[in-house]
Amino acid sequence: MTENNNMTDEAPDYVSRKVVVSSENGLHARPAGRLAQEAQTFDSEISLVVEDQSVDAKSILDILTLAAGPGNMVELRAKGADAEAALERLEALFLNKFEGA
Amino acid sequence: MADSTLTGIPVATGIAIGKAFFVNRNHMANLPRHIVAADDMPTEIERLHAAFKSVETELAAIREQVPEELKSHGSLIDTHLMMLKDPKLSGAAQKYIETLGLNAAWALEKAVSDQEAAFEAIKDQYIRERMQDVRVVAEKVQTKLMGVKTDLSSFSGRAIIMAHDLTPADTVELQVDKITAFATVRGGKTSHTGIMARSLGIPALVGVGRLEEVHDGDLVVIDGLTGKIVVNPTESELAEYNERAALFEEYTRKIRRHCHLPAETFDGSRVMVHANIELVEEVTAVLDNGGEGVGLYRTEYAYLNRTSLPTEEELAEKYIDLAAIMSPHKVVFRTLDLGSDKFISTFGELNETNPAMGLRAIRFCLKNPQLFKTQLRAILRASAYGNVSLMFPMISGVKEIRQAKAWLAQAKAELRREGVDYDPDMPIGTMIELPAAVMIAEFLAHEVDFFSIGTNDLIQYSIGVDRTNRHVSYLYQPLHPATLRAIKLVVDAAHQAGIEVSLCGEVASDPFCVPLLLGMGIDSISMTPQAIPGIKRIIRQTNMHDCRRLLKDVLECRTVGRINNLVMDNIFKHFPEEVTFFSSLLENDELPS
Repeated sequence: MTENNNMTDEAPDYVSRKVVVSSENGLHARPAGRLAQEAQTFDSEISLVVEDQSVDAKSILDILTLAAGPGNMVELRAKGADAEAALERLEALFLNKFEGA
Repeated sequence: MADSTLTGIPVATGIAIGKAFFVNRNHMANLPRHIVAADDMPTEIERLHAAFKSVETELAAIREQVPEELKSHGSLIDTHLMMLKDPKLSGAAQKYIETLGLNAAWALEKAVSDQEAAFEAIKDQYIRERMQDVRVVAEKVQTKLMGVKTDLSSFSGRAIIMAHDLTPADTVELQVDKITAFATVRGGKTSHTGIMARSLGIPALVGVGRLEEVHDGDLVVIDGLTGKIVVNPTESELAEYNERAALFEEYTRKIRRHCHLPAETFDGSRVMVHANIELVEEVTAVLDNGGEGVGLYRTEYAYLNRTSLPTEEELAEKYIDLAAIMSPHKVVFRTLDLGSDKFISTFGELNETNPAMGLRAIRFCLKNPQLFKTQLRAILRASAYGNVSLMFPMISGVKEIRQAKAWLAQAKAELRREGVDYDPDMPIGTMIELPAAVMIAEFLAHEVDFFSIGTNDLIQYSIGVDRTNRHVSYLYQPLHPATLRAIKLVVDAAHQAGIEVSLCGEVASDPFCVPLLLGMGIDSISMTPQAIPGIKRIIRQTNMHDCRRLLKDVLECRTVGRINNLVMDNIFKHFPEEVTFFSSLLENDELPS
């Protein structure tokens, strides 16, 4: 076996950013809805990862099943042409506690 | 024999014969389940997505209309919209069509079940409960898929409206001129359905078991006196009911003949008889039925039947009309009693676990001072045009009443500055609906000019019973010794402080209960306009002396059953012939047959 790609050395095909849930009640219905709504405006595949659970950021139902509470660390992962912009946007949402635009 | 006879709790009198029409039927019990042929799958998938899309469009339109000031309530609709747009839900349903060949409604049902399993594992109770929202959304789509009609416009002739339950918002959408009666599965003796029916002057039954066995279009007799529903009656049964309806009409005519005479007992005690109304248009019914004023003007309707909040100008116009038409008679405005069940469908749910004890009535107003002050200003403006009083609902303590009065003072100061007329001496009252208010009635009496006892809520809160819950509604007993003691305590505290006390719950229109209220020395009673003639007739044929003695005997009884028997015996003795046409809140099975 000569061709043994060492995956760990290769850059992942997605970009990622870590955020902390700071909204008072965690990712409850309203924040989850806002998040999914924003995520749906991007073409990239976007997921939220908490510990070993990864869900589709465009699905409010998926986000709810994460049941991420305040203070939880969430990793945002995006793959696609507008991945960077998506992360930028979603991170801002987390920082603003899902208030405002 | 008729196809079947069902029984329910009568909440509005009268006899109606008409065709059944179901609204909001619990469709899920007969969700269609069949296998779709492979050729038809693409069509079925298309149908699924079209149904999602069309529910989404409808909901988005509703969302548009949620007023800006109540933005937080719109967020529930936003959540529902996101669930509709969620590719997970429609995607999973589509997969079940493709792989198992299920029809769309069934496939969606399976997708929802999957989601349910995922949610059950969640520890956060709030999030787990969001499954209800998924259900609501899915049911909307399923209803759409099943092509169920929910409006009456397609119905020819007059309909008997049947439903699992009717909320105020449901009845707002009904075309009242087409309705001859209501029957619902849920609901207790004083639920909204009854209030609605009585204001329309049509019979209603609630708590009807097996109601869903009735089909749309069945010929149905509703007897709002005995609580019977006869489905597809025989010709002789139909004739019998037609005769009974005629007799009832005759009785109604008889009591109306003398309804303009004062409610004065044989021995000269006078009680003012006022009307409870919800719409300004009801003043004709008030005056026609001999009402001596409006003892309770429920002001919620103007907020419910619309898509934005009413402006001060709109409210004032309505209020001034009402005050001017009723003048010199009194009109008691109750400030906004929104919240709990009345609030839900128009602005979205507040998501309270226990709305009856949540943010409603005066609590809601004190939290939304802008909305509160707009209404206070409108009421004050009307006070310049007639005999206007104002009262606050759901007061639990002295502090609340002082806060409410502070807003009123501010509204007055503003109007004064603007040079707008109002009555500076407008009487201010408080509703007594909470056991806490009863216990501190002597303190509250020093804060206000009058009391108005709201027995519907007072009974619920003091016995701790949801009157619309069929399983416990038997506990909702107006003549519970505790209720009677509470009312007596309030009346005595008011008179001690030299203020007037009125009673505006359904007890006021119960022929069996009225003699007790007289015995307590209540100053005025307020009821649905249609009940006034019958109650006035009873008062006019009663002795105050007897009422006091009856009250004394009743206050010594330790059980409701014993009390009910005493008050019924009293009425049967005096009104032996008419008594079959009386409608009462007291348990029917206690009525001697």
